[in-house]
Amino acid sequence: MNDPLDLDSLRRYARLAGFDWTDAELETIRPMVEASLRQLASLETLPLDGTEPTTQYRIL
Amino acid sequence: MTDLTFATATELSRLITGKEVSPVEVVRAHLQRITALDGSLRSFITVTADGALAAAAEAEKALVAGRPVGPLHGVPLGLKDLYDTAGVRTTGGSKILAERVPTADATVVRKLREAGMIVLGKLNMVEFAYGPEGLNKHYGHVRNPWDAATHRMAGGSSSGSGASVAAGLATVALGSDTGGSIRIPCSLCGLTGIKPTYGRVSRAGVLPLSWSMDHVGPMTRTAADCALVLRAMAGYDPADPTTSVLPVPDYMAALTGDVRGLRVGLLRAFFLESATPEVRTAVEAAARALEKAGAVVDEVTLPSVRYAGAGALAVVGTEALAYHAAWLRTRLADYDPEVGTRLMLGAFVTGVHYVRGQQARALIRREVDEALARHDVLLAPATPVTAPAITERQTTLGDGPSDVRSALIRLTRPFNFSGHPACSVPCGFASGGLPIGMQIVGRPFDEATVLRVADAYQRVSDWHTRRPVLA
Repeated sequence: MNDPLDLDSLRRYARLAGFDWTDAELETIRPMVEASLRQLASLETLPLDGTEPTTQYRIL
Repeated sequence: MTDLTFATATELSRLITGKEVSPVEVVRAHLQRITALDGSLRSFITVTADGALAAAAEAEKALVAGRPVGPLHGVPLGLKDLYDTAGVRTTGGSKILAERVPTADATVVRKLREAGMIVLGKLNMVEFAYGPEGLNKHYGHVRNPWDAATHRMAGGSSSGSGASVAAGLATVALGSDTGGSIRIPCSLCGLTGIKPTYGRVSRAGVLPLSWSMDHVGPMTRTAADCALVLRAMAGYDPADPTTSVLPVPDYMAALTGDVRGLRVGLLRAFFLESATPEVRTAVEAAARALEKAGAVVDEVTLPSVRYAGAGALAVVGTEALAYHAAWLRTRLADYDPEVGTRLMLGAFVTGVHYVRGQQARALIRREVDEALARHDVLLAPATPVTAPAITERQTTLGDGPSDVRSALIRLTRPFNFSGHPACSVPCGFASGGLPIGMQIVGRPFDEATVLRVADAYQRVSDWHTRRPVLA
């Protein structure tokens, strides 16, 4: 995720998640969303083939 | 003459049960200190003075009548303001829950009252526990007691817990820890605190930030106090389905002072490497002190740990968003803008991100397990820096520049992700007089060894006995 997010995309993603935030509110968080998506994309570089996601929390 | 406001829980318990001091005297001394100092420290949101004095009077009557008493009889306790308390408001440090009054105590609050502890009040915190700096726009920014001249961060999110115990306003405080919120304020305030294994202590009645990352635990002045309080808190709770049925050991009995032959893995890459020179030197000196006491120290690496931040963002972002979704739709303006923004970011985490985060979690947990198959404990700095000023936004770490928030949480978060027990103990002071914290990480459900190492270190060091100079 290296391309800058435009406001329309941001609005669309937020609405899909059920949030009707204003353009001003979305504009405020846009740089942080971009930074977060870059950070999250780094997970794709991990060698995770064959690693099952954690679904239980080691309860004994 | 013991200073009651700086006595440890272990000492107070002995003095009270030996009838050398009265619980009323102990509680009054703490309430007086709160009145004198908390106007500037801002560590309490609600002080329950009447309730505390009434409980102290009852505790005194029990002693006079010769009734059996608990292991923490009469010892003052502060509660981070996300622990439910029957009849006393529990705000989560928020405006949204400012008037919320629970009808029942959280399980651990009930257990600690049964053990004899006396609740002094509810402690300030980062709003909804979402941030490591310890700032709170609604109830005031907590002040770190170690610097009278500069308003420095107490660390968060359990900022009031850290400041209150460090300043002698409470003997013990409870914190909660989703990315380091017990260990960070312990590191910045010179305290000893433990984040137990996930599942060791009930979270029932504690406001959540991220169900799978939240841990609750004690913040104290010594490892022995942690042992005493943790034993009273821990154990299976039918109200929290994630609690373990494993029996709770006598952690005090584990504090033998003996670390001969114990295998200690020093985490250099990512951990020591990112610390400032003063922090790195202090932790290395602590490792040498353990070596001198008979431990076998070598270096160990967790290859994937740098992905813990991204993984935790996926997991915490999603879980926190789910808890806050309704308020984010209707009351966004009532959040501190910084906290509201952090919560909003969760709306842009996809299902694939969340699963990748959980895969990264499995990978990192396996690496920590493998390191702990060869070592009894791992050592690292708790925070790479000492307490920043509250105005500081950027800092310089051993491996480059960083924003303060990321720096504070960087070294603790991996063990929330993995669920391993980890404590922070004071291991030195920087040239500006600010405490440095060291993290000791152990195997799942082996808090006993973590505390044994912490206690053994405190028998050969005196950092934990130092006190801030306050007006």
